[in-house]
Amino acid sequence: MAQALTSIREIERELSALRTVPGTESPYQRTSVMTHTAWVPEEWVEAAEDVLSGLAERHPSRTVVLFPQPDEKDGLDGEVEVDVYPVGEGRRICTETIRVRLRGQRAAAPASVVQPLLLPDLPAFLRWRGLPPFGAEYFEGLIDVVDRLVIDSTEWPGLPDSYRGLTEIFDRVAVSDIAWARTSRWRPQLASLWPGIADVKRIRVTGTAAQAQLLAGWLRSRLKHDVALEHDPSDRLAGVELDGKPAPFPPGDPPSGSDLLSEELDKFGRDGIYEDAVRAALA
Amino acid sequence: MPCGRCKRPRAAKTPVSVATTQENPLLEGLQLRRTPDPCILVIFGASGDLTQRKLLPALYSLAFRRLLPEKFAVVGVARSEESDGDFRDRMKEAVQKFARDEFRDDVWDPLAEGMRYVATDFADEAGENKLVSVLNELDSDRGTGGNRVYYLAIPPSVFGTVVRALGKRRGADGWTRLIVEKPFGHDLASARELNATIEEHFQENEVFRIDHYLGKETVQNMLALRFANGIFEPIWNRQFVDHVQITVAESIGIENRAGYYEQAGAIRDIFQNHLLQLLAITAMEPPIDFTADSVRNEKVKVLRALHTPGPKSVVRGQYGRGFVEGEEVVGYREEAGVDPQSMTETYVAAKLYVDNWRWADTPFYVRMGKRLPRRETTIAIEFKRAPHPPFEELAAEGLRPNVLLVHVQPDEGVSLAIGAKVPGQGMTIRTVHMDFLYGGAFRTGLPEAYERLILDAMVGDATLFTRIDEVEEQWSLVDAIVAAWARDRPAFPNYPAGTWGPPSADELLRRDGRSWRRH
Repeated sequence: MAQALTSIREIERELSALRTVPGTESPYQRTSVMTHTAWVPEEWVEAAEDVLSGLAERHPSRTVVLFPQPDEKDGLDGEVEVDVYPVGEGRRICTETIRVRLRGQRAAAPASVVQPLLLPDLPAFLRWRGLPPFGAEYFEGLIDVVDRLVIDSTEWPGLPDSYRGLTEIFDRVAVSDIAWARTSRWRPQLASLWPGIADVKRIRVTGTAAQAQLLAGWLRSRLKHDVALEHDPSDRLAGVELDGKPAPFPPGDPPSGSDLLSEELDKFGRDGIYEDAVRAALA
Repeated sequence: MPCGRCKRPRAAKTPVSVATTQENPLLEGLQLRRTPDPCILVIFGASGDLTQRKLLPALYSLAFRRLLPEKFAVVGVARSEESDGDFRDRMKEAVQKFARDEFRDDVWDPLAEGMRYVATDFADEAGENKLVSVLNELDSDRGTGGNRVYYLAIPPSVFGTVVRALGKRRGADGWTRLIVEKPFGHDLASARELNATIEEHFQENEVFRIDHYLGKETVQNMLALRFANGIFEPIWNRQFVDHVQITVAESIGIENRAGYYEQAGAIRDIFQNHLLQLLAITAMEPPIDFTADSVRNEKVKVLRALHTPGPKSVVRGQYGRGFVEGEEVVGYREEAGVDPQSMTETYVAAKLYVDNWRWADTPFYVRMGKRLPRRETTIAIEFKRAPHPPFEELAAEGLRPNVLLVHVQPDEGVSLAIGAKVPGQGMTIRTVHMDFLYGGAFRTGLPEAYERLILDAMVGDATLFTRIDEVEEQWSLVDAIVAAWARDRPAFPNYPAGTWGPPSADELLRRDGRSWRRH
């Protein structure tokens, strides 16, 4: 087993060594589209690895996975992996994954670890598993060095109140919410019910709490009047009723977790409609 | 009062990507898919290679991505007798063989359900009646609302008959669109004649003349490269560009198409359409927006500005025996169905000038041919050398000019050749490449050109189709070149298969102190 790398310089040196085509002095071509950083506390490790493995194929770039271990002795352990893919006729490109365990105090200042590893001049995305600790220095520091925060509010307890902290960072960083993306098949479907939907009073959502809150918030913010929410818990968005009438089911299959994250990584600007929906969910 | 700097609202394109919110606030911010209206796609020439290799696989890929309308049907029309079931089976086989996506019954079955076949040569009323009755039946069964896309993948000889019959029997309901495969005529006069036939029954905005090169991602990327990046346009002109080279090379021969190729030759097969379109996209001015007319207005200006090359600026060739990819191949005159004394060219190289302010005196060297060493379509912009490199002569000996190379196929992408210092004590400079590989940066499969173009035609977006004035300009240049050929008789064959063309093609550039790009 390879020895853990204990400094950024060692990580960079190892990356450089791994990028060299075996038996030659020339490097694999590295693809440079973005830096994707993921904050993965212990309880999210398995889920995060599943999604990342599906993602590398579609967004080949640099991925930095941070595993915070604040209760361990101070230190940093890095592992580097270079995946090589064939492209075109006889050419190969590589993508890089850097896994860093931030032990003890190192977990308190992750931005200082991420910054030197960001690919210059390219967008940086931060995937945060679970509920972010809004206001905590280590989280605030990270969102200041990335362009987009990708969350999944399905993973959050205490909705809709948990959205309050999120609304306070909208002006600092663009936000993508996988839970919102999961409603993307339903929103055009509901929009197609216009003008009948204009005066809807009540929405009943069979799905996750996040999906229910966001769909209700979306209707309130777009229609500019209150819409009462009834929520039937389910692990997927299985149905929507408007004033007691079921809305037609959208065509096609729901996208996978990797698909959803991949789509979010193609977005760069703020999503004002989502932000309004979150604010209205709190109202 | 409108201010002087306010932009006029842009003309809306037919395919809506972000919907209007004036009436429906729920549409705000929704990225709506470009799903066409319900319609029937009628393919004339359904027994041909194109239908099997390209059209049906493209339709399957669109169905795979749920980009086809829910209410949709396909009608194949050809001379040979075939039942609906046999047609479906043949198309299923074609999809399994040629589609880029895995075969899935849940995608194929709904598509196949709406498939019909009509056997007719369209020369009599009975055939027309049969087709009309099948279409009406499908309208009523599948709710396609009278909307029709007619895809004419048929020889030019029957084109007029089919167009007249379709025009005569246009229904009162729904819209009609006509997709026309190349070749659109065989010279300017025949192209005008064909167009006159079309114009009797169809408006120009209902006609979609296909040039599948324009559906390629990398060709569209040329527009992105030029007009989405601030760094290129300032140097994209005669001040900075030494010359441009466009290569459309094929390693294959004529693949049992002797009948067509003997009449067409390289100049009508590739030069008149694909190559001149690539040149137009490379040389055009920025359009004011990306609507069909704005883009085509700029392309046609380039085609109009093309100076007719004199006989010394055009080289034609024909391949003889040789080796391609290690295999011995026969010469063109030995191919099945080819006249043993044929004077048909399989290779053309030319030096062209775009006579306008941006490109005056900047040569565009173009070449295309069959049985060349490899398949490659590239556009190379070669920039002028640095005016005074402050290095010793030896240091920059191996330094070549900067070249921006757009790989249309294969290895889709862009590379820039730049000079860089070789690490070490001295100052030696060598040319290196900065590469952008499509497959590297975006690891999604590139859609086939026909997927994009069929969908565009269904939604009525003609941006990537050729307008009649472009076609006419292209033919008028080709007619002028071909007219000069009538006066001489080159010693064919003049290049062995597996080489980069006749020596006179090298001479064409050598006279100007240049050479073809090294491969």
